Amino acid sequence: MKREIHYELNGNPVTQEVTPETLLLDAVRQWTTAPKEACGVGVCGACTVLVNDQPVSSCLYLAALVDGQTVWTADGLVQRFPRLAQSFVEHEGLQCGICTPGQFTAACALLLENPHPDEATIRHYMAGNLCRCTGYAAIVRSIHGAV
Amino acid sequence: MARIDAPAKVAGTMAFTADVRRPGLCYAAVVRSPYPHARIRLIDAASARRLDGVVAVVTGRDLPDRTYGRAVRDIPALAKEEVRYVGERVVAVVAETRAAAERAASRVRIEYDPQPAVLDPESALADDAPRVHAQAWAYPGAVVGPDDPPNLQSRVHLTFGGSVEEGLQKAAAIVDAVYTTPAGQHGYLEPQACLAEIDREGRMHLWIPNKSPYRLREQLAAYFDVDPALIEIHPVAIGGDFGGKGSPMDAPLCLELARLVGRPVLLQLRYNEDLTATESRHAGRIRVRVGADVQGRLTALAVDALFNGGAYAGYKPAKTAELLGVREAGGAYRIPALELTARIAYTHTLPGGHMRSPGSPQVVFAVESALDELAAALGIDPVELRRRNLLTTGEVDAHGIQAVEHRGHKTLEAALAALRPRPVPAGWRYGRGIAIYNRATFPGSTSLRLTREADGRVTVVIPLPETGTGSHTVVQRTVAQALGIPEASVTVVQGSTRELPYDDGVGGSRVTAAIGVAVAQALEAWAAQGHTGTVEVVVRPEGVPRVTSYCVEVAQVAVDPETGQVAVLELLAAVDVAQIVNPLAHQIQLEGGLAMGYGFSVMEDLAVREGQVTAATLGDFKIPSAQDVPPLQVVLVPGGQGLGFGNTKGVGELTNVPTAAAIANAVAQAVGVRIRDLPISAERVYQHLVRVPSAGPKEVAL
Ligand code: FES
Ligand code: FES
Repeated sequence: MKREIHYELNGNPVTQEVTPETLLLDAVRQWTTAPKEACGVGVCGACTVLVNDQPVSSCLYLAALVDGQTVWTADGLVQRFPRLAQSFVEHEGLQCGICTPGQFTAACALLLENPHPDEATIRHYMAGNLCRCTGYAAIVRSIHGAV
Repeated sequence: MARIDAPAKVAGTMAFTADVRRPGLCYAAVVRSPYPHARIRLIDAASARRLDGVVAVVTGRDLPDRTYGRAVRDIPALAKEEVRYVGERVVAVVAETRAAAERAASRVRIEYDPQPAVLDPESALADDAPRVHAQAWAYPGAVVGPDDPPNLQSRVHLTFGGSVEEGLQKAAAIVDAVYTTPAGQHGYLEPQACLAEIDREGRMHLWIPNKSPYRLREQLAAYFDVDPALIEIHPVAIGGDFGGKGSPMDAPLCLELARLVGRPVLLQLRYNEDLTATESRHAGRIRVRVGADVQGRLTALAVDALFNGGAYAGYKPAKTAELLGVREAGGAYRIPALELTARIAYTHTLPGGHMRSPGSPQVVFAVESALDELAAALGIDPVELRRRNLLTTGEVDAHGIQAVEHRGHKTLEAALAALRPRPVPAGWRYGRGIAIYNRATFPGSTSLRLTREADGRVTVVIPLPETGTGSHTVVQRTVAQALGIPEASVTVVQGSTRELPYDDGVGGSRVTAAIGVAVAQALEAWAAQGHTGTVEVVVRPEGVPRVTSYCVEVAQVAVDPETGQVAVLELLAAVDVAQIVNPLAHQIQLEGGLAMGYGFSVMEDLAVREGQVTAATLGDFKIPSAQDVPPLQVVLVPGGQGLGFGNTKGVGELTNVPTAAAIANAVAQAVGVRIRDLPISAERVYQHLVRVPSAGPKEVAL
């Protein structure tokens, strides 16, 4: 039951064979290491990618659904959102880094939706991206720094 | 300059174990026990073996009779005849893809004969308890004997100063209370993973998020009974540790599988396996007896802790198989009579291991809560009680050790000076609680190699993995400062275990201080050879002065007297520091600790029921999100004396420790109920509130 899908990954056309149950996370990780598998059940955000500029948990999203769509992951988004990327570096919105591509991706989605979020908005929006290392203040500072 | 690792981590191009690929790689999945205690009657793998893409199905019978561990070697790579906890590895499947391995794992049929299980440490230590291990004393490294109570893993009993019983007798007031803390998990977001490969010469290669690779190499050499030089551990980034990435974990199994199938094997756990089947924080039951005279001067402290060690002792690194945090009980205070007792028991539950300052969060919660109860009994303000007992510079502590200095008073006053009351929601009650922790920095052994390249740049090869604390950046800065050259001219490389002689690994908040000591020695040796060429140094922890860090936390809470809900309005931590190499990373480390302390205090519980972890996903085992974490305030108290070239002290395991007691003390002040069992949930507070008629809601008849 394999089938070919075509989508745009970080601006580049991609063709890939998937089965109906292939997860977007596993499909995209054939090309990039940016989305990470952590909780696997849609609560931690480590696997966040943008589908048509909307954030999705790729561990719960079927690859077949991105046929004909655009997908962005953190390694591509650092080019699209250089100020935000730089702000994460400057404010050290990271420690171990396993949650960081997901945090950064979700933050990109937030700025697409709302270019000037306040702290409460940031915390509310980012509540689906867990981080065990930083205590979040540094991540909030990173996003704030790019607003 | 920025952290070395930051750009690659933001872009997601940093290689973690699950990102490593090797030619011919195959994937493993594990079938685990559904019973806390059972005999394995039959394993039928025929239909699993027939599935597409399956390379091998391996059972305990296929493996030699050997066990591994960090100190006590009692863990089998796969269970042989008997399973000892829900989640224990029974069968491993190796296949061409992870999906094929998991599909085949679900087809393995195992029949068990369930056996009586012991699920809590109290009953485990009873004379007639079923034994988790028939002969626990016979394992290499065991610290118990055949005459010890059944299921004992380890025992510590230490007395310092005068008689505790006399001290309690002459006290004007005493507190004798029991505090409990639940089993927990590290909550790192990178699941355990291990890639094992055996090359043509028979050398073993590993890519694994292990924070002490040189110790891992020794542990594996002991397991396989080979020369450690045959084992090479390659550097990869570690996606969160907190103590959970310190044991061999699945490395022995993966190496066995790679040997059997003759190909590299990657096992990446699903997160529910991390929660239910890997080493956890020991649940604790801690009795504290503490007394003071009328002036509030402590006369005696006795701590008697009983921990659930789970099915295996091998996840604890101490030779004594104890949780060293117990020894820190009362460590900030002048205590004329101190008695510390701790027992760890085997049970048929998931194994206990190390988690961020192992033993300390449990014991400090108990002792710092008891001090507030004592203050209440004496009618003394809890802050004042602490002021009267904090050690001062020049005093020897209860253990008879003289630290370089004691900065508890200074740190306490700094915390109070920075405190600003937070607004309280209408109808809620406000409370403020304090707790203090004092922790020594032990830099431990390490090694490093400095080379001046032809173009004047300096390369530093270090043995330490980056667990996220910014340690590689600390090396870069320390060396650049020491040599007076730009940071950009210093390249830091983590070597594989073949490249350097030794390191103790990341742990015990030692890294920055160890680097400082090593850099100081390397520079001396280097100067002697005219600052050219290469120098390699090995530092051993001899004659290191006792340096400690104080951490004073103040929690402000609001409690809803109708529902028992606790809102933490702010967590403030004042921290006694020396020099700081990377101020931002230092601050984030402290903030991260507070957030973890917050989770431990009010949210996290693995909810082990009948031996089974019921909070088995990150949706059930809730760790704090950006919205949960309360406002954090970190106050640095600079000017302390540190260690090594950089004059630094440890910071990684401070702020997560006193939080629970600070919050419990604040809740007690707010609504007059004393929560002695973690986590401090609304349900618990409510149940106490209904028993204090003046304070709380009326019980409503239905
Ligand atoms: S791995 Fe997808 S949300 Fe956690
Ligand atoms: S940086 Fe480690 S989990 Fe966020």
